[in-house]
Formats: sequence, C-alpha cells, structure tokens
Amino acid sequence: MLAAVLTSFRQSVIFVCYHFRLLCIKLVLHRKTIYEKAFLCGRKAIGTLVIRDLTRKITSKLFLVNKIMATNRTGAAQRPNGATQGKICQFKLVLLGESAVGKSSLVLRFVKGQFHEYQESTIGAAFLTQTICLDDTTVKFEIWDTAGQERYHSLAPMYYRGAQAAIVVYDITNQDTFGRAKTWVKELQRQASPTIVIALAGNKQDLANKRMVEYEEAQTYADENGLLFMETSAKTAMNVNDIFLAIAKKLPKNEQTSGQGGSAQGRRLAEGDAGAKAPGNCCK
Amino acid sequence: MMVPLLKHPEMNFGAITFFARQHKEDMCGSNGLPLTPNSIIIYGRAQKLKTIKSPYLCQYLDIIRGKHERTIVVCQYCGVPLSNYLEKKKFTLDGIKRIAYQILHGLKLLHERNIVHRNLSCENILLQGENIKMFNYGLYYLTDNAKLVSFPVVQLLYAAPEIYLDGIHNSLPNPAVDVWAVGIILIELILDKSLWSSLKVGQRIRKILSLLQSNSSVFERIAREHNAYEEYLNVPEDLKEMIESVLNIDPTKRPTCEELLRNKIFSQFQTEQDSGDKELKNFEIFTIHELYHWWQLAGGDVLQELKKQGLIRSSPPILSLPHLVLIEGNILGQERNPATLYDPRVVQMPLDTLYQRFENIPLSSFYPLIRIKSDIISQFEPQPYDATGLPLIIKERDPEYQFHRIILFRRLLHGYPFTKDLIRKEAEKDIPPLLRGEIWAALLDIKCDYKSRYMKLDKYSITPTDRQIEVDIPRCHQYNELLSSTEGHKKLKRILKAWVFQNSKYVYWQGLDSLTAPFLYLNFNDEAKAFACLSAFIPKFLYKFFLKDNSPVIEEYLAKFSQLIAFHDPTLANHLYEINFYPQLFAIPWFLTLFSHVFPLYKILHLWDKVLLANSSFSLHIGLSVLTQLRDRLLSSGFNECILLFSDLPEVDIEKSVVLSTETFKATPTSITAREHDNDEYRTKDEYDITGVTLSDLKRERYPRVSARDVIDMIRTNPRKILVIDIRNMVQFNRCCIINSINIPFSSVSFTENKIENVGSNSAILEHSKDKVVVVVGDEETDLELVFN
Ligand SMILES: Nc1nc2c(ncn2[C@@H]2O[C@H](COP(=O)(O)OP(=O)(O)O)[C@@H](O)[C@H]2O)c(=O)[nH]1
Ligand SMILES: [Mg+2]
Repeated sequence: MLAAVLTSFRQSVIFVCYHFRLLCIKLVLHRKTIYEKAFLCGRKAIGTLVIRDLTRKITSKLFLVNKIMATNRTGAAQRPNGATQGKICQFKLVLLGESAVGKSSLVLRFVKGQFHEYQESTIGAAFLTQTICLDDTTVKFEIWDTAGQERYHSLAPMYYRGAQAAIVVYDITNQDTFGRAKTWVKELQRQASPTIVIALAGNKQDLANKRMVEYEEAQTYADENGLLFMETSAKTAMNVNDIFLAIAKKLPKNEQTSGQGGSAQGRRLAEGDAGAKAPGNCCK
Repeated sequence: MMVPLLKHPEMNFGAITFFARQHKEDMCGSNGLPLTPNSIIIYGRAQKLKTIKSPYLCQYLDIIRGKHERTIVVCQYCGVPLSNYLEKKKFTLDGIKRIAYQILHGLKLLHERNIVHRNLSCENILLQGENIKMFNYGLYYLTDNAKLVSFPVVQLLYAAPEIYLDGIHNSLPNPAVDVWAVGIILIELILDKSLWSSLKVGQRIRKILSLLQSNSSVFERIAREHNAYEEYLNVPEDLKEMIESVLNIDPTKRPTCEELLRNKIFSQFQTEQDSGDKELKNFEIFTIHELYHWWQLAGGDVLQELKKQGLIRSSPPILSLPHLVLIEGNILGQERNPATLYDPRVVQMPLDTLYQRFENIPLSSFYPLIRIKSDIISQFEPQPYDATGLPLIIKERDPEYQFHRIILFRRLLHGYPFTKDLIRKEAEKDIPPLLRGEIWAALLDIKCDYKSRYMKLDKYSITPTDRQIEVDIPRCHQYNELLSSTEGHKKLKRILKAWVFQNSKYVYWQGLDSLTAPFLYLNFNDEAKAFACLSAFIPKFLYKFFLKDNSPVIEEYLAKFSQLIAFHDPTLANHLYEINFYPQLFAIPWFLTLFSHVFPLYKILHLWDKVLLANSSFSLHIGLSVLTQLRDRLLSSGFNECILLFSDLPEVDIEKSVVLSTETFKATPTSITAREHDNDEYRTKDEYDITGVTLSDLKRERYPRVSARDVIDMIRTNPRKILVIDIRNMVQFNRCCIINSINIPFSSVSFTENKIENVGSNSAILEHSKDKVVVVVGDEETDLELVFN
C-alpha cells in the first residue's frame, strides 16, 4: 500500500490529508515539517499538502539502507553465532577543499540526510561516521571534515595522514576553488599514503546555471590523475551517496584484522603511522 | 503609593502591525542561499530607528516578527492625534506656528539621518499639551522605501503630486515630499477642516493632481474649494508666503526643513528650542526603553494585546494551506487579502499590571546611593531587593529585581569611567541583560574616543581576506534575526575588515566572525563600540591567538588544558589519555573563539559575563566544565564515540558550566594555568613563577607544575587538602623539609611501578590521600634524574 501510494505521488503531487491522514503521518516520520503540517489537519478540514521530498527519499535507497543497517548493527551483527555476519570494514576518509565549497554539507547529507542552508563554518575539524552496505560487506566510514581556510592548512596533515580515502571538493560556480582542489590533490599525492583513493567532487551542481568550471575540464583532470570524479549537490542530494559508494567500491577489502576499534583509530590519527604502513587493512 | 515617575504621560507606548512581502517559495539568491525574508531585512533596518531621540518624535522601542512575515512595530505613543481636533477645536495662529515648528524640527532630524517620513498626516501627529510628537515616521524607511512590502506607503491626501506622477512604488526617497505634507497639514489646521473629506479615494487623488495645473496659489485654491476664502484672507502675509513656498509644485523649489526653521515667523521658538536640546542630554533615571523592558518582564505581551484588539486574528492553519503546490515549489491559491496587509490602527498597551507590580517601590529606590560616606545619608539608602540565591534565569525575568539593577547600573554607567570599580563589583553579582552592551564596554575599559578611532579605519578597500570573510558571514549565527539581516551582514563585514586593517600583526582566522558576533549583537546600533569591544577583548583574553602562525600559542593552551583536566579530574584525564583523545581534536574551536563558535548567542552572553571578570585562563575552565558535564559518557566511551560526541556537541547546561568553571577557576593555583604566551600587561609576575619550560616538555608533562608560591599558599590556607611528597634523598630530606611532607626518595621507586602499595612505607598515606592535592617537590638533582629517565 505504502509503496503504491509513493509511486503514484511521484507523478501527482497533491496529497489530500483528509483522506490519508494516518498514512500521511506514517510517511513523514523522517521529515519533521511535513509531519507537523499533517498533524494540523484536524478533524474535518480539507487541505492540500505536498510531499515534495518524498521522491527524493525513494531514489536515495542507499540512505534508507544505511539507517536500517545502523539500527541493526548493534543487535544482529554482533550475535556470537555470526549468523548475519558479513565482512565489516572501517575506512578513514578525509574531506579537503577551499572553504564554503560544501564539504560539511556533503558530510551532513551523507550521514544524516539533511541540508542546512546556514551550515556553520568548520573550525579545526569535525568527525562523523557512517556505515553503508556493499554487497556482503559493511563499510564504515570514519569521516574527517576539515576547515577550509588556507590558514588551517597546517592542521590538515594530522587528518589526512593514514587516511585510506579523500574527497577533494570544489565549487563548480567558482574557478578558484577548482585551482585549490588541484593543489590539494598534488599534496595528497606527495604526502599521503600512496594507495589513498582520491575522489574529486564538483559540488553545488544545482547551481549549474552559474557554472564556472566545465564538467569536461574537471573530468579530464580527474582522468589524468586517476581520480574518481562526480559532480554533486549537497542541496538536492545528487550523487552524494554515489560518490561515497564509488569510493567504497574502489577501496581494497581484504581480510586482515587490525587493532580493536576506537583506540586504534585514535593512535593512527595521532601518530600517523599505522595507516601509512598498512593502508586499507582495517577489515576485521 | 504609586511612583509618579512611572506614570509620566510620555511613558506610554503602542503597536502597529503589517505584513512584509513574502518571497515566493524556494527562491534563491545568486549565491544559492535562500533569500533573506523581508521581515528580517526590516528587523535589521529598524534598529537604527531605535536610536532616534527627539522631543518631537515618538521613540521606536521594538520590532517583533510574527508568523508569515508579520511585523509588529512597538513605539512610544502619547497624546491625541491632531486629526481628532480638526473641526472641533480651532488652534490659534501661534499654536499652529508652534506645531509647524515642532514638526519641521522633527523632520529635519529625520532628513539629517537620510530618513524620509512620507507617511505624514494629521493622524500620526500626536498632541500633548502644547507639544507634538510624530508617530510612525519610520515606516517608509524600514520597508526600504516600501520595497519590502506589498502595500503602498503613502497618505493619499498629504502626498505631494510627484508621488503620483512617479508611481507610488518606484520613487526615490525625497525629503521634499515631507515638506509638501507639512503645507497641507498647516492648511488643515488654519482652515480647521479635513480637506476633501467627503470625496472618494480616486477623486481625492484627482484633486491633488489638478493642483499641478493651477496657476494661482495652491493655498488660495484649496481655501476657495472649501468655502473658506475669508479665513484665507485673514492669514498673515508671512505665513501665507511660507505655506505657498512649501506647496510649490516643483519639488526642487521647495525649501528644506532647515531653511524653514530659520524663517523669521518662528523667531519666538528659535531660542526656546536651544535650551530644549540641552535638556535632552541630561541624565535620565530611566528611559522608555527600560519601561518597556520592565513591562515585558511583568507579563506585558504585545502580540497578545494585538490579538485582544482583533488586529491579529488566527484562523485554523488548514485554511492557509495553498490549494495547489507544484513540484517545483510554486504555490497557487490562498494569497493574502491585500486589504489585510497593513492595518492603520494603533493599539495602545495597557500598563496597569506594571503599575501594580511596582506599586510598593518607594521613590528613594529611583535614586540609589552609590558611594555612601555618612550614616545620616545612608539611612536613606533604599532597602536592597532580596534576590540572593535565586537562579540567574529567574533573576533576569524578575521585574522588580531588574528594576533595581537597571536603575543602579544606569547611574553607575553615567559616571563611567570614574565608577569602573563599582561597575565591576556589581557585575560580579549579575549583569542586567538590557544594559549588557554598555556594561561589557565598561568592563573592557572602552575609552570615549572609540567612535573617532573607528571612523579612521579603512573598511572598504579590497583585500585578499575578503572572500573568506564573505563566505563566513552568511554562516555565522544565522538563526539570530539581527545577525542574519542585511544590515547585520554589512556591519559584521565592516568590523572584521577594520580589525584586519588595524591589526597588521594578526590575520583573519575563521572563527573571528563568531567572536565578533556577540559584540555586534549587543551593540547593533553602535558599530564602533562593537569594534572597540572586540579590539579590547582579544589582547586580554586571546592574546596572539590570531597570529599568522599561532600554533605555539594554541599548542601551549591545549597542553595547559590537558594538565588542568589532570589536576581536577585525574580519572578522566587518564581515560582520555589512554584512548588518545587529545584536545587538539576537538578543542581548537572552543578556545580560538572562546566558545562563540560552539554555543548559541544566549549561552555565550552568560559565559562571557564571567569571562570578562576573569582572565585569559577562564576559557580552560569552561572547557573543563563541559567535559565534567559529559564525564560519564566520556568515561564509558572509546575514541570514536568521544569524538562523535564533540562533533555534535550535546546540550550543555550553561548555568552549570558557569558555576563549575567559576569554582575551578577559584580553586586552581594560578601557576597551573599561567602561560608563556599570555599578555604581560594582564598578569602580575613574581620571582617564584615557573619559567623556561619548553613547549615540547610542557606537552610531555601530564601533570601540571605548580609554583613554590602557590604551594605555600595552599599549605597556609588549606593544609588538610594538600600532601607534599619530597623525592630528594633521605639525607637532604632530614636536613630540612616542608612541614608535614613525606619522603619518598626518587631512587627508591622504579619508574615502571604502577601500584601504590609498592612504593614503600608511605604507601598507606598515599592511599588515603586520594582527595588531596599531591605536590611532588624535588631539587635540581631530582630534576636531572627525571630527565635522564
Ligand atoms: N546551492 C548549494 N549550496 C550549497 C551546496 N553545498 C553547500 N552549499 C552552501 O554552501 C555554503 C558552505 O557550505 P559548507 O558545507 O559550510 O562548506 P565547507 O566550508 O566546505 O564545509 C553553505 O551556505 C551551504 O548552504 C550545494 O550543493 N548547493
Ligand atoms: Mg565546513
């Protein structure tokens, strides 16, 4: 029933709350605003309501899977008999790029499915995690979102040291940020672990009418340097999950065990050696 | 007994309401961000109006944003509209001249500030006794020449013909239109008639436009049309002449207000006026702003009053849902009825509850004594209002308490800088929110020349930092109406650029924007003061933090933070150390911005109230208090959970933090948080200070060093709380030692030993001293041995 309604609404955008009052509330559990509107519908009033984000929710299946995975992990995955156990891999991923290109927004979209227009600037760095499911492997990203301002550059090595993956972000409406992205790529190629998987993200694709960096230009550059490349939009969620998924696919997932969880991560970050010596060998 | 001061006839206010123009759903600006709602732009613009003070202008008090772009303007309102007198009470010529003079005086002040009234009419000129006050003169200005609203800002009858000719919506603000309106008002008063009152709207406009073609005098023509040629003839020539000049069809030929004020027909008022100006500058015990504040605290609610009077009607939300919404976001149906966009009614706010609440305040409380020398005088000191022990939040909302605090602080601030010490002393109790901006400025020692200093700084030249500032401002505390308004953005940018310009030694680090935000918020109408506060704040509390290479400074600060945690909470410190959870990973934004990037504004204000009274180490204590509040979760978490906790900082109880950090601040020996990089200007040095510890040593040491002076102090003041362990060899110890210290010679314990039982005969004492401060003392020799190990 639910699915049927959803598909039909992909085309027709009007939603009469009166008839679907209960259903409405069910649908919008993850979208607070619509939830509230639906709630206001009261007894006899008839109004109209749109579930605009709904289509988006359906297309980002990955997102839903993540959430389900996240809730299951604590329960099912840790069962001693190992009934549901696939491989679980942890990867450290770092986001780099000029400030205000949308690094924090990409992470927020990927991890929480949200977008804040007035996303606060990042000082120092922020850390978040997200788990995605890839065939039989569960990939856990430990994401370091860094500050963009040139001055914070000196901190950056602390974060990319030992990272198995990096997303270098630029803003397609600003040529300078693309230049800065190239510098980051160079720095990573020289300083980071040699096996690091680098992805280039041309963000703010929703503003394509103000584009200053051509798609082909960036694609060519990415090809020359062996980078993954996508144009993304944290605002519309376009390609956000996909770029992380593409990275997850490209990362080596061989069966080797590394130290236990948290403290190992910490040490690696601080001393910056473990990751460099054994890149990608963090599956357990 | 009711205090007459509160019931002064001028101490009254009312509110009007209108809707700002609504943006179409999902519209974006050129930067991809959603457009700033017009009501917020209005909110920002209106702040300037609050600063206007004149005996002939009602004071603006507040702007409130309601739902769906509703905007409510709260403003002084006292007296009776002139329109109520028309055709009822004829004014004498002298009376009319006085009114004209006062109107022109008020207008001149507005025009000097580039504000055009454009809304002048007999209805919004309020008469009280002999004096008038203009009301609602800011509507045209605050709606950015009516661009931000969908209704015209115009008074049909009083509008100069060019307003109709240019089109009501696209004319530039021109002060000459106000001059025209004065002419019409004078004619109404002289003829004692509402002009063309029986005509319909269209006909009235036609009448005004027809004046364009008249070759004879406008005044005469109007008089004839109203069967008042007789009266016209009786008007003295000089007055007639003036009115004629004012009603010139060509706006460029109309005299300005300033020229008119110099007209000799006003000679009798011209001197009177000068003395009036001086009076304004006198000390006021309280202002209408404060009255409004108290009224609100006593339960006054503008929104509620408007609802009661039917100006705001709430319909079921379902009725305001659109009929149809397209997937691109276009909304169809349910447009607002244009007639409801602007409501000309003014609702006066009842003050009875406030009067009742303040009934028992004696007159003497309005005149608190601030420095008392003799017993006889001190008899008259008003009873202190007892609020000790109440939580800060309650105190801030208690009208009586805020009454006493504000009256007192106003007085002290009036005496600044001579009352500096008293201000500080009172601020230690608490700071009344209404006067926080001024009090902070006093605590920061702002000098009176701050305005001219700010004026001299370059805020406009293009610099390489501009892009960074520009991308940071729209992300800085944008939930706040002031800071998200267009005015707010402009001001913040100017302040930041001025700071960068002035401090060539320093650079703009991301975060400086957040640091500036509280000062701008508190001094929104005094940009220069906001800047002065920032400039005084940084050297005192964040000295060298904004150096281009600030890493030694920050590293030292973070190392001190680790040691402070270890000093107060060794268990937590050990846990964090074991999971490699360093302050570098989470605390940089805390300290670089003194938490202004971490907490919302209302929390920052309370924190900084205390910071300003402390020194640059207070930030460390706030950090500690945050950790303390999260202690249980931190102790039970590994690295990832901990870092996640800080990336998405959970709700921190700020009052608790304030209490905790003040406690630890007082209980921590100063040498523990003393830093090499601190500003020498703000610290007292003595020969026992610890010096010469390198940064790498500092970072290696998990427990803080403490100076000999602090140890002695601790032994003197609280000997039970301290355990001194002497690690010199026994011979030296027996020769001389600190009283009650115990001796565990350094060589007797192996470095890897981690069980207390194994340290020898003194282990039992150690075991029982877990709640004490343990101080290890040695001499140069033991120091050396430490290094070699
Ligand atoms: N239109 C649009 N704006 C975006 C997008 N991603 C981020 N932004 C905006 O760009 C600004 C900077 O984003 P932020 O994530 O803070 O950038 P960061 O400094 O790289 O972390 C914010 O105001 C975001 O709302 C996007 O995909 N489209
Ligand atoms: Mg960011």
